[in-house]
Amino acid sequence: MWVVEHPAVEVNGLHVRYGSTPVLVDVGLTVPAGAGVCVTGENGIGKSTLLRCVSSLQQADEGTVRVFGAVPGDSPEFWRAVATTVEPPTWYPGLTAREHAELVCRAHGQDPDSSGIDEALERFGLAGHADAIPPSLSSGQKQRLTLALVLLRPSSLLILDEPEQRLDPEGRALVAGMLADYLATGGSLLLASHDDKFAVASGAEMVSMEQLTGPAS
Amino acid sequence: MTAVVALRPVRRWIRKAQASHRDRGDALATVYTAVFSIAVLSVMAQDTLRAVFSPLVPHLSGVGAVAAAACSAGLIHLALRRLGPVTVTRPAAYFLLTAPVSRQRLLAPSLVTAALGAALAGGAAAFGILGNAAATGSIVLVATGALAGVLLALLASAAQSRPRLASLVDTAARIALAVGLAGLVAEAIGWTPPTLGGEAPALVLVTVTGALAVVAFILGVRDLARTPNDAILESAKTTGTLADSVYGIEPSFFAEMLERRYWASRRLRSARLPHRLPPLTGQDLLLARRRPARLLWTAASTALPLLLISAPRWVLVIALLTGTVIAARGTTATIKTDAGNPVLLRMLGLTSRQVVQQRLWLPAVLGAAWATMALGLLQVAGALPPGQWWALGPAIGAIGGAAAIRAARAGFVRNDLIPIDTPMGSVPTGPVVYAFAGLDLLLLTLPTVIRLFQDLPATWSVIAVQTGLAALGVRAYISWTTDPERVGLSK
Repeated sequence: MWVVEHPAVEVNGLHVRYGSTPVLVDVGLTVPAGAGVCVTGENGIGKSTLLRCVSSLQQADEGTVRVFGAVPGDSPEFWRAVATTVEPPTWYPGLTAREHAELVCRAHGQDPDSSGIDEALERFGLAGHADAIPPSLSSGQKQRLTLALVLLRPSSLLILDEPEQRLDPEGRALVAGMLADYLATGGSLLLASHDDKFAVASGAEMVSMEQLTGPAS
Repeated sequence: MTAVVALRPVRRWIRKAQASHRDRGDALATVYTAVFSIAVLSVMAQDTLRAVFSPLVPHLSGVGAVAAAACSAGLIHLALRRLGPVTVTRPAAYFLLTAPVSRQRLLAPSLVTAALGAALAGGAAAFGILGNAAATGSIVLVATGALAGVLLALLASAAQSRPRLASLVDTAARIALAVGLAGLVAEAIGWTPPTLGGEAPALVLVTVTGALAVVAFILGVRDLARTPNDAILESAKTTGTLADSVYGIEPSFFAEMLERRYWASRRLRSARLPHRLPPLTGQDLLLARRRPARLLWTAASTALPLLLISAPRWVLVIALLTGTVIAARGTTATIKTDAGNPVLLRMLGLTSRQVVQQRLWLPAVLGAAWATMALGLLQVAGALPPGQWWALGPAIGAIGGAAAIRAARAGFVRNDLIPIDTPMGSVPTGPVVYAFAGLDLLLLTLPTVIRLFQDLPATWSVIAVQTGLAALGVRAYISWTTDPERVGLSK
């Protein structure tokens, strides 16, 4: 994990436009290290764009983004500290769901025997699908597998785009509980969500896109 | 219940509606380009075609001719089964397969097309075999070959609606292909096969095959309505994706579909990644072990260069390099996945240098094993000048592995590049760059290629130079194209 002297996320004066349509106008956001922030707002207001900019997957037209005090980018330090579901994953051919989890653990130097792969699959209701190849899973199961992978690997900041999507009520409560545990162990969390109950249960502070927009932010 | 709707007026209406949106000039230009390209390519490849279909010194014995026929039949059958052969277009699969129209009439055109295609392929194969056979055969046998092609199309169509028959005939086709190739290889390295006795008159053969083809065709058309919907939908997807690949000049569409379909049909059990190996190397090893049939065919294909002993040396060299790269490509689907979308690499947090270093092992080992075996067999068969040619295998394999990785990292064809205007029309740059991605690294095999061309012995100094060049080349490739400080595949 990175040394957490800086806020987990600092965004200042962010402007993004698609063609002539402004999506983010002078957006500012701070996620203190060890805290959680849930960005809310209607569809198309720019939540995903903001998360993509913080994850370095999209360049802003103006403004600055800092993650643990550094410019986000393609460095191994950044991607070892940040785990995200902002992009839907593609899956490796011929690898089962459990093997994907083991690969992620081994790439992060974890011992697959003690990293709790089977427990994580069990908790996400995927124990019966451990031998399935991910493309054969339903969209909800794929979502749960993606969340299981980001929670299995070590990280300092989780960036999740509507993690409650395609989950049943029980699954939502479970994931919210796991995110609260993640915060309790010192992790930082930035998520976008439409589900206030989920956001509250995850322990993240709720903030709307309107609050983040403009000089007052 | 809705009565069966006549299909012909519906099809006519669709054709008319499509034609009204199409520019006739465009269609004519496409036809002109196709005819012109075929004509130019035929003239350019005239000598090669003559050498393939009718060499100056025919060499195939009777048994060899039968072996070649078995190979051709196996290949035609497997190709037909891969395409369907009974299929419809993707829009027809959506709109007409679910409509109350005659299933037989809907599917008959594709069966006729498949039968015609197979007849052409069968006729060409028979023509080629006749041209290569030492004993002269009647040209009427070309017609027999064409009719046998029709029979193969009908057999493939019957197999499409009967899973047990499908598994039986597919296995038979694979065995025919393997045994046929083994026979051809054995003959190429000097085995004298027994003389075939009691040849049937060509006219009798063509009459019997023709009668069988006619009966089978009538039964086959009647049987069409039996073809299950899922089989038609699958073949509609296959032919549609193949058309996309050809039209978009993007071979990965088709390759990815086949890969997806292969894994979807497999029942896997989670295994542990080998803990002594780096994670990505372990993953590639697991992937290779999960495709034993591919490994077996790859191993068997090391004997194929033996078929080219008497061919011009450049053909043998191309076959050796192509075989090495194809063997090395056995596990590069993973790197292709990462090239298309590096999201999993971000999840893994690995740098491009780590990824390429870890992913290079398996292709290099597979390529090295293939090249060592192929060169060793050629050496044992006495087809090469003196020297330990097999010892060049590891170096050639490592270069082939790097070439395969480079090709996989190229990802998709870039159609945004500016085309080059030539007197023969404009040449799209993207597909050309894509086709040659990775092949540039094969320049590192020059010491071996030159020795082969000049028919010079493989001395230990040549082997040392080639091995050193391969080691330096692969190292330089990794250093120049990867970054130890950047996650992803690019530098």
